[in-house]
Amino acid sequence: MTMHGPPGQTLPVIAERVSKRYRRGWALRETSLVIPPNRVVALVGPNGAGKSTLMGLTTGLLRPTTGAITVFGDRPTGKGLHPAVSYLAQQKPLYQQFTVTETLTYGARTNPTWDQGYAEHLVGQAGVPMNAKIGALSGGQRTRVSLALALGKRPKLLLLDEPLADLDPLARETVLRALITEARTQGITVVLSSHVLAELEGVCDHLVLLHKGRVVLAGDVSRLSPNGVPLGELVLQHMRAAAAQEEAA
Amino acid sequence: MIWASWRQQRLQLITLLGLLVVGAAAIALMRSNMVGALASAQLTDCVTLPLDQCTAPAGTVKSFAETWANPLDVGRMSIICAPALIGVFVGAPLFARELEQGTHVLAFTQSVSRTRWMSSKLLIALVPALVVLVALQWLVSWWLSAAGTLGPLMTGPFTAVNFGIAHVSPAGYALFAFALGTFLGVVSRRTLVAMTAGLGAFVVVRFALAGVVDRLVPAQRQELPHDADLTVLYRSDRLVLDGGWLDASGHPVPDDRASALLQACKSAPGGAPNTQEGFLACLPQSGLVKKYSLFIPESQAWQVHLVDATIFTALALVLLAGTAWALRRQS
Repeated sequence: MTMHGPPGQTLPVIAERVSKRYRRGWALRETSLVIPPNRVVALVGPNGAGKSTLMGLTTGLLRPTTGAITVFGDRPTGKGLHPAVSYLAQQKPLYQQFTVTETLTYGARTNPTWDQGYAEHLVGQAGVPMNAKIGALSGGQRTRVSLALALGKRPKLLLLDEPLADLDPLARETVLRALITEARTQGITVVLSSHVLAELEGVCDHLVLLHKGRVVLAGDVSRLSPNGVPLGELVLQHMRAAAAQEEAA
Repeated sequence: MIWASWRQQRLQLITLLGLLVVGAAAIALMRSNMVGALASAQLTDCVTLPLDQCTAPAGTVKSFAETWANPLDVGRMSIICAPALIGVFVGAPLFARELEQGTHVLAFTQSVSRTRWMSSKLLIALVPALVVLVALQWLVSWWLSAAGTLGPLMTGPFTAVNFGIAHVSPAGYALFAFALGTFLGVVSRRTLVAMTAGLGAFVVVRFALAGVVDRLVPAQRQELPHDADLTVLYRSDRLVLDGGWLDASGHPVPDDRASALLQACKSAPGGAPNTQEGFLACLPQSGLVKKYSLFIPESQAWQVHLVDATIFTALALVLLAGTAWALRRQS
């Protein structure tokens, strides 16, 4: 993929030949990638493909071994997340002993761009009682509080690492619908990672397919599948091709 | 950020406050009981006098000491142990629990720098713990001083326990224990590991450094002729670093040789036990002319405390820098 796009400042994420190596081996190799604005991006790949690593590099939790990544033109550092970016980790970390109200206060105290009314609206919409302790909530409710915390910051880029993984099918449906509604109405770029494409197929308009630390397919869904070939089919084809190439090499 | 740290450590702060209130009440109660016991045994004057000048019957002094030795020791030991407890229960879990439960990811992905997050957590954890420690230390020493020479203070300011609960030493130990706990917590990312390893390492370092500081304070030298009252050299209010006999030219006599000469002087030339006069006359003839002592007097105890606390504070700062480095590192 070439890097000659619109000026870098405006693009949510630009990765240039980014590699990340852990002690156990390479998690990401020479990955170049652009996340365009105002998309719902499905970041798909089997377990261990490098999805979480890519998100970690984008948030600054991790540092690339080689290459560079910029988020709205800035290098992610350990000095807190870019104010325009929100991140929801796979484990959905929240302080268990906080109440929902206190969790939102936490968001307000740690983010200069906080919108308390909006965050409260999102929690209320999900029907989560404000004075309940986080530890006492169900998985779906906790995800909704995490989302309210992430969205209350009024981000332009929202990174969600396997947000649906630990939810039952019904909660999955409601969470996804609430999320996509907010993304479309607020003009937020959302990156959702998942190892199950099926759960994102109807909602994403941009696809990034990772396989063993490399991008094997990336682009707008309308361009990748002009004739309405099902995305699942497309992904499988590319996965098989990548696997075959690997065997040949 | 301060609010967030306060909210997270609320339970711990309430516990500390509870400890302070209960501890202060207990100490005040014990002290007033003790003062009453001293008055009823007519020992009040003896508190400020050296033990040999106390005119009260020996039996009442002994029975007072027997009754109050244990409670006073409990007070002293609580201050000796407090720094270790601060390290284990305040320092070790501070970051380890976040790293263990993954909530540091939540903190690191808000618009607050890691340095600010870390310093506000350190501040909210450390300052109240130190304040409670210093307050309890003051209360215990207030209680101990009421027993005066009839209590543990009789053994002087330099015994391990009396030294360890006085002046700035407890604060220095606590700072070190706390920093050690946080550092091990950040490195191990396991609360339980940080708590146990921190306790072990603290005890080892505390023992290893006990006594080292004595050598870092300028000592005083005293020389007495062989026939003077030598008991002054062994008074409990001084810390003796070195001592022994000097020959006529002022050179130290090796200890084993000095003890052989002393033994020899104890017998008269005929073999019968020597008289006191004969013994004292024998000493300079054998080459034991003067006794010398290298010591730190009580009036300089504060210098030893200051050096002690400086060493532990410096170690603590190194560990805190290590904690900051480990937390700021993007893995």
